[in-house]
Amino acid sequence: MPQRTKDSATDRLFGALANPTRRDVLDLLLSGPRTVADIATHFDMARPSVSEHLKVLKDGGLVAETRHGRFRHYAVEPQPLHDLGEWLRPYERFWRERLAAMAELVDQIAAQDTEESE
Amino acid sequence: MTEDPTSINVDQFFPHPPELVWRVLTTSELMARWLMPNDFKPELGHVFTFTSKPIPGTDFSGTGRSEVLSIEEPALLRISWQDAAKPDGPVTFVTWRLESEGRGTRMFLEHSGFDLDNPQQRAMRKIMGGGWRGIVERGFGVVLDEIAGAEVK
Repeated sequence: MPQRTKDSATDRLFGALANPTRRDVLDLLLSGPRTVADIATHFDMARPSVSEHLKVLKDGGLVAETRHGRFRHYAVEPQPLHDLGEWLRPYERFWRERLAAMAELVDQIAAQDTEESE
Repeated sequence: MTEDPTSINVDQFFPHPPELVWRVLTTSELMARWLMPNDFKPELGHVFTFTSKPIPGTDFSGTGRSEVLSIEEPALLRISWQDAAKPDGPVTFVTWRLESEGRGTRMFLEHSGFDLDNPQQRAMRKIMGGGWRGIVERGFGVVLDEIAGAEVK
């Protein structure tokens, strides 16, 4: 049987997302940063449990913690979700890049047209 | 952001009139420079081939076979999109729609008809059950808002 590393960033990301409560926490944080106490009021669980879920989300790279005086605020780190979106829909990235290339080309052609008419 | 999981929607603003954007969209040699080398002609029913590299993360072989399904200068182009290496494989559809916006043009691209049962989608369902799409979509939206915000600054 092949040996797989059980502690890669991807494993931690998917591990964090595999739990429905953590997905609810993430969903709540998508509307803006919150403190642990604030998050706890939205769930039927004690603050230490909330903290534990936040730690897993943090380890998975999905949530960042910042200190504001005595309080810690938790906010979504959108990059992993963004990467996941691109992995789920590779054509989206393809078209974004192609349309950006097209925008550059339209600029070039417009500049050439202006030169020719001068 | 689209709610329809079987389609992809991307838009792009051009600070140029629709006629110029249309020319770059539908002239074969220009299309080759932003998309792929091709034998496209702006004619309804024209069947053409795209030759390029495989698209990472998709099962696209690099050669596409397409047909012009709709063409309304300078507002709408709709083509079919099929892998030339898999004539029995799935057909998807790409639509470009142009709208005047101020002194420029906004292009709306829709790529539709995707199979919901590809390996990536199956993997996500296994890990997260239903409801994962909302989170990924909203996360995606937050990044796009941040990018847009950074551009405004």
